[in-house]
Amino acid sequence: MSGAATTADPIAVRDNRATAIQVALWGSLAIFAVLILFGAFTTDGFLTTTNVKAILSSVAFVGMIAVGTALIMISGNLFSLAVGSTAAACAMSFLALLPDGIVLAIVATIALGAVLGLIQGLLVGGIGANPIIVTIGAASLIQGVALWASSGATLVPPKGDTSYEWLNGHILTIPVPVYILFGAVILLDLLLRRSRFGRQLKLVGENREAARAAGLPTTWIITGAFVLAGVFTAIAGVELGAFNESGSLLIEGNLTYDAIAAAVVGGVAITGGRGTVWQALGGAILIAVISDILLLRDYSEGVQILVKGVIVFAVVILTRLNRMRLES
Amino acid sequence: MSARLPSFFRYRGTTARPFVILAAFAIAFALLPTYASGEVGSANVFNVFQALSGIGLVALALGLTMIIGEYDLSVSSTYLLGGMLAVKTGGDSPFLGVVVAVAAGLLVGFIQGFLVAKLRMSSMPVTLGGFISLLGLVFLISNSKSVNYSDLSVSIWLNDPVMSIFSARSLIAIAIFLIAAAIFAFTWLGRDVRAVGSDREASRTAGVRVDSIIIGTFMSSAAISCFSGALLSYSLAYATPNRTVAPLVFATTMALLGGVSLSGGRGFPLGIAAGAISLSLLNEGMAVTAAQPYVTYLVTGGLLVVVTIIDAPHLLRWWKTVKARNNIGFRGGSGQLATTKAGDR
Repeated sequence: MSGAATTADPIAVRDNRATAIQVALWGSLAIFAVLILFGAFTTDGFLTTTNVKAILSSVAFVGMIAVGTALIMISGNLFSLAVGSTAAACAMSFLALLPDGIVLAIVATIALGAVLGLIQGLLVGGIGANPIIVTIGAASLIQGVALWASSGATLVPPKGDTSYEWLNGHILTIPVPVYILFGAVILLDLLLRRSRFGRQLKLVGENREAARAAGLPTTWIITGAFVLAGVFTAIAGVELGAFNESGSLLIEGNLTYDAIAAAVVGGVAITGGRGTVWQALGGAILIAVISDILLLRDYSEGVQILVKGVIVFAVVILTRLNRMRLES
Repeated sequence: MSARLPSFFRYRGTTARPFVILAAFAIAFALLPTYASGEVGSANVFNVFQALSGIGLVALALGLTMIIGEYDLSVSSTYLLGGMLAVKTGGDSPFLGVVVAVAAGLLVGFIQGFLVAKLRMSSMPVTLGGFISLLGLVFLISNSKSVNYSDLSVSIWLNDPVMSIFSARSLIAIAIFLIAAAIFAFTWLGRDVRAVGSDREASRTAGVRVDSIIIGTFMSSAAISCFSGALLSYSLAYATPNRTVAPLVFATTMALLGGVSLSGGRGFPLGIAAGAISLSLLNEGMAVTAAQPYVTYLVTGGLLVVVTIIDAPHLLRWWKTVKARNNIGFRGGSGQLATTKAGDR
């Protein structure tokens, strides 16, 4: 079998490399899974219904933002540092609009997320502005507007309003946001694999200039990725507003880093072109489980952030080493 | 090149821009009492120079990595880390605290620079990992709480006004900027750093030790950032952990105002100093007029977006496309743009 992989047959070499990538990926995933499982089963209180529900809720929020982040990454524009602020602002907008009816509150909030994504996407996709800088600037602007509009107050739902309670409900003991997340992932996966937009998104992420030279509307494809990311972040914002029953900029917490870490750890290529929303979901589950284990074992907030950072570090270095070995 | 400006200030044709911007901000600030309520005096100038020693040095640190065509996301964490380490380890000797902070910065910079140079990784994923990990480290060593520094005499010494507009702290910062400027102007290092930022492969071929320059730049960047964090914490007499990316917003805006480009190869320390003073003047103006916190967010975020748009690589291309479309009376469908001659209506 290895005889086929002589240098004379580039296709066979490429196939072998692809196999090697697969083996390396699955190998490291398996080792990691074993470590996590060990940690999980030796931690008191991990395998309780309440805890599993807590993990699922956390996955639902972070996962929703992570799949949006994955789209930005696949488009070759790294990640957005504004997703946490966007989610917080959307939670606030949802709660502020609740008195006008839940349908309006949800629709307007999702539209808000889309517009925020549209503006950032046009800057990044249209004139090639750096996505990191645009999104930290946007985060600052979003926080400013949110502070101004709320006069710095924490928003709460109207007294006696139960119209949003279904968002905190359970179907077959699984929280509603989990169903919404799975629906979103299936939809986005179809969009990425079956639609022209999805294929073009990967091409743009692989090589933006080549895609442009080939006549693809790169501006609109990248903008599309940012708009979708804005929409899914806004949905997470709605869920977070309903879940916390209060909305302020503090909701941001670690959401931004968790979502980025989830997409990176899931194996979405930070340099663009490769990755699926399922991977981002897997990453979100992993990050949620690790956070949960650390929380149950009473590790400090510092350790929790540090562990995520080290995992991101490890994943990006391993991915790079793997690529270098295969390229040499 | 012509000798219009001494080499200390000169870099290609863009040299003057940061200083023109600074002059505009300074005039607007000086005239502030004529169009807004608030007094302007030497105390404000003192504050502006104080800011130069805090976030201004972070802008220098970040700007250096931008000149070599990279971007060090982790500066906002190293800024916190330096302060936290200095306060934690400098209890008996503030000097020791600074040494620990700078040493930590050098180590962090070496690791990140090594990965960028030797593994040829993009600085964004590398410094994202650094950013989150170091943030965790700051929360870990502080136990998520503010830490006080008991030796108040250090704070007093650092902040005591010198000649009414300076302090020991701001003079230290000015000295660092001048040293960096001298290195850029009078040694081969400045030329090589910009060469690496302009075209890495060409520099390599031309014999520039690209890897050493990259690693050295990341080490200087993290060390300067840690050092300014230490200065800040000593002068406040406490260090506090927080997740804000505000230092990143300010430092990036300062560097871009200072003539550094995200595409690399452009920028020089005195320009960054001018950019830092410009933004500090703006902040001081908002403080003088007692602006609401949201105004600060809006102005700084808005300014960053504006300078990013001006710096964007495809701005000109986009503008040309818009103009071309107007010329041909764009009738929809991008194919028409390619096949219709300009002026054909």
